[in-house]
Amino acid sequence: MPSFPYKGNDVYYELHGDPDLPVVSLCNGLSMRTSHWAPYFQLLPKLGCRVLTYDMIGQGASSKPILGLDFDDHAASLYALHEHLGIERPYVMGISFGGVVVQKYAYTYPDRVGGILPASTFSEMDEQLRGHAYNLYMGLVRVGFEFYLDLLTPLNFSDKWLRENRELMHIIKRVGVSTFELYGIQNLMESLSHFVSITAELHRIKCPALIMNAEYDALTPRHLHDIMRRNIPSSRLMLVPHVCHAFTLEVPELTSRLIADFVRQVEGGLWQGDQSVWIANDDPKGEPAAFPCEGDHLRFIPLPAGKAKKPAREKKPAGRAKKATAGNTGSKSTHAESSTAGSSPRASGSKAGANSGGKPGTRS
Amino acid sequence: MSAQSHSIRKQAKALFGEQRLGPDQQTRIALFIQGVKGINAAILAKIEFQPLEWAPYRFLHNQCFKEVELSTLIARATEWSTNPAVYMDATSLNLALWQETDAAKYLQGPFEIDLQFYEYLALSHAFMADIRFLPLLPAHLPLDTPFLAALAEIEEENGRQIQSQIRLLKDLDLGLDNDRKEALIERKWTVVESLYDRLLTEVMESMQESAGGEE
Repeated sequence: MPSFPYKGNDVYYELHGDPDLPVVSLCNGLSMRTSHWAPYFQLLPKLGCRVLTYDMIGQGASSKPILGLDFDDHAASLYALHEHLGIERPYVMGISFGGVVVQKYAYTYPDRVGGILPASTFSEMDEQLRGHAYNLYMGLVRVGFEFYLDLLTPLNFSDKWLRENRELMHIIKRVGVSTFELYGIQNLMESLSHFVSITAELHRIKCPALIMNAEYDALTPRHLHDIMRRNIPSSRLMLVPHVCHAFTLEVPELTSRLIADFVRQVEGGLWQGDQSVWIANDDPKGEPAAFPCEGDHLRFIPLPAGKAKKPAREKKPAGRAKKATAGNTGSKSTHAESSTAGSSPRASGSKAGANSGGKPGTRS
Repeated sequence: MSAQSHSIRKQAKALFGEQRLGPDQQTRIALFIQGVKGINAAILAKIEFQPLEWAPYRFLHNQCFKEVELSTLIARATEWSTNPAVYMDATSLNLALWQETDAAKYLQGPFEIDLQFYEYLALSHAFMADIRFLPLLPAHLPLDTPFLAALAEIEEENGRQIQSQIRLLKDLDLGLDNDRKEALIERKWTVVESLYDRLLTEVMESMQESAGGEE
């Protein structure tokens, strides 16, 4: 079992792929371990990237200090791991808790990063995220690890995935309960208890940043990703369709492609960090990989960007009601059509593909 | 966790995946759990003599009764062995449990916020966090026998009870820095780890004997 010592703790890690390839370091979310990235061990090397995964101190096979550790140590231990392995300019991807670590890493060690991919994450907490974090923490400490997983599951996965994996859920939960130490996860959560916004630091991130946010991420919602997009100078925001908070587990093929495309663009000098918003193709093998988001990316209701809200119409006298209703219907229809048309033809094609039940890749 | 402990738990996991825990093994496990819960309950019995306003009182006062409850639960859920040798082995292990953890030391005198109290907290934290059977059972194995269900319930309850130890270990101010605190905790963990390894080794030997007897 490869591990390296950091401040008296063992950090477990795995490296997959050709040593000559650019390295993508994957940082776990709170209750993840290296094995959650298993599909990426094959997918990313095929797409031209070497993969480094590791368990943070407190997780999986790494040491679990009883008294916990400071949040800043997570970025510092990742830096130390890169040093230990002689990795000079890694691409650092992290999800959720790991996404915060990634941002911290990027502005603390700006000379030791090629690019970052923070996913399903935040640079500051809003009241909804605070509420979820409180519920998860109290669920963990007052009820137990199993209930914590119960709370997290519907936030992490789409209805489709949950339906398809219903029979496996009790085993997934048992594996989770068996392989994690409650106090280790609790320590990680508590390392965020004094978390203060890092948004003001994001301008210090000089490397390219592809921020990824799932379409239906209710735990770390869109506007938190948008704060990162607006504050990281060389960034883009990529919306990942149909999935929820733990999309890296649900659509590894699509995520791998997005990661590899980002690395290829940066390595080839083609990256345009213009703070634009993009939507990933449903099909992980489809072309293009992503298309520009032309609607209001902050809304669930698919209004075109900048469209003024129409005032509600008052009821008309009975004799004119029919005409008024028809007018309203027409307006809604036009609105919906313009919303679809507002997206590029590629978006329409993608949507048609999904609607026809032809969803390819791992989610089929 | 030491490499030796890791190896023992790996072997136990493999064996528990192949064979069910019979009365001999259940008896060994139950008596060990009762030993651990008994030590903690005996020490915590002192808590009722502390003043109500003593800060750790409200963290620990119900743990004593909970430990007794869990000890009773495992007693009722166990298929007890009829083999006297099992009880002799289990008693020997329980003697080691008292001796090697230095548990008797914590029975003396009233609780005070001092190094001895901190050591007790570290010991009871290790009891509740390190002695886990669920990770050694196959994930697909239903926990639908009284014994396995009781083990699962004990582990779940341990997760709640340990919150008192976690808070106090983190927050008690003894004038020690975190490194010294961690070193002290580590020493207690090492002792508990080794006792749990011994139990698992004896359970595995007992399973192998049972399997040999059936052939």
